[in-house]
Amino acid sequence: MSKQSEQKSVSEKMNELSELVAWFEGDEFELEQALNTYSKAEKLAAEIEHDLTNLKNEITVLKEKFDA
Amino acid sequence: MASDQTPKFSVSDFIAVLNQSLEYSFGTVEIEGEVASFKVNQGKWVFFDIKDATGSVNCFMSLFQLRVPVEDGMKVVVRAVPKITAWGKFSLTIQSIRPSGEGSLKKSFEMLKAKLDKEGLFSLDRKRPLPEIPAHIAVISSTSAAGYADFIKILNDRWGGLQVDVAHVQVQGETAPEQMMRAIAYFNQQEVLPEVLVIIRGGGSADDLAAFNDEPLVRAIAASRIPTIVGVGHEVDVSLADMVADVRAATPSNAAQLVVPDRKELTHTLGQLVRRILVRIDGMVNDYLKDTNAMLRQGWTVLDARVDLLQSQLVTSRQVMAAYDPKAVLSRGYGIVRGEVASGGMITIEQQERIITAEVKDVKTI
Repeated sequence: MSKQSEQKSVSEKMNELSELVAWFEGDEFELEQALNTYSKAEKLAAEIEHDLTNLKNEITVLKEKFDA
Repeated sequence: MASDQTPKFSVSDFIAVLNQSLEYSFGTVEIEGEVASFKVNQGKWVFFDIKDATGSVNCFMSLFQLRVPVEDGMKVVVRAVPKITAWGKFSLTIQSIRPSGEGSLKKSFEMLKAKLDKEGLFSLDRKRPLPEIPAHIAVISSTSAAGYADFIKILNDRWGGLQVDVAHVQVQGETAPEQMMRAIAYFNQQEVLPEVLVIIRGGGSADDLAAFNDEPLVRAIAASRIPTIVGVGHEVDVSLADMVADVRAATPSNAAQLVVPDRKELTHTLGQLVRRILVRIDGMVNDYLKDTNAMLRQGWTVLDARVDLLQSQLVTSRQVMAAYDPKAVLSRGYGIVRGEVASGGMITIEQQERIITAEVKDVKTI
């Protein structure tokens, strides 16, 4: 997993994956490039799955008081 | 006749002393009764009487303190300071007023709902969509409430990596609307706005949930720059805060379900996406194979046609050749004459099975 890839949010990765899938379903599809792109998509899907399983929410109760 | 100990006052001092006594004795009081003679003067001041079967007291308040619609006959609880006015009239200076009893709550709700509806605050055109996958959300709730715990549990079950800023506020009682409004203002003033503003509270009586029908709060939710989702009470509870929000959640748990996707569902979707790619590749490979086979078949068809044509030409040629074969003519009984065709000349006659040598006796032209 590259550092750059790790810094992306799940949402960004999902968008990237959708773009790859769209390439496969679009007119620009070329069989010669398909294997490479498929490997990228598969890796990205695995990263997203990893993120989804391991990421925790960061919950902060604000110190600000709203009663006055 | 007044003795020397009898206190003497000027009128103003007497009124001031009376007010001081009232303040020492009561401070602020809550009184429940029915509204009568309700009127608004100069668009600023509200006057009405609060009464029961045998008593009636004048009430006064400024219009901006009136947070819920009120009309004659409505049962209310007023929070007020008793006072004698400069003109010697006893009056209650109202700090807050809230409908009391199911009938009044419902009536007040319907009146405010009609007013806000007329202004278009519930219009579907105003509703903004929530982001599909937010990264930063703000929550306004009481952190000790069951509804908040439900929300956080479902949120954590469904999704991760989310920044959740929580404003702890009262979600019932007189101060609740103001606190929630301050929290809404706080989040709306942030340099980096949260992507969603979640306002939640668990179930309760109609009176407990009345804060969510407070007009200024409802307007603050409508004016929020951040898209809002409100989940108050149980599924059957409907508040004006719900109605004005961009998204209405039936409960706090439902709010969590609407704010973030479910990671299990998304993982399943991921698998489907990758499978779709494989199906596409398979499809393309099959298409290429089909095209190649079709081209090959076309090639074979052309080749076959050519061979057929050549074969047919060969047969014709053979037939022609056969027709010209002298042996075929001989087989029909004809003969080939060679030699000197003149009287006394010697000739040979070739037939299919013999060759005859003969002398020419005579030659006549036919």
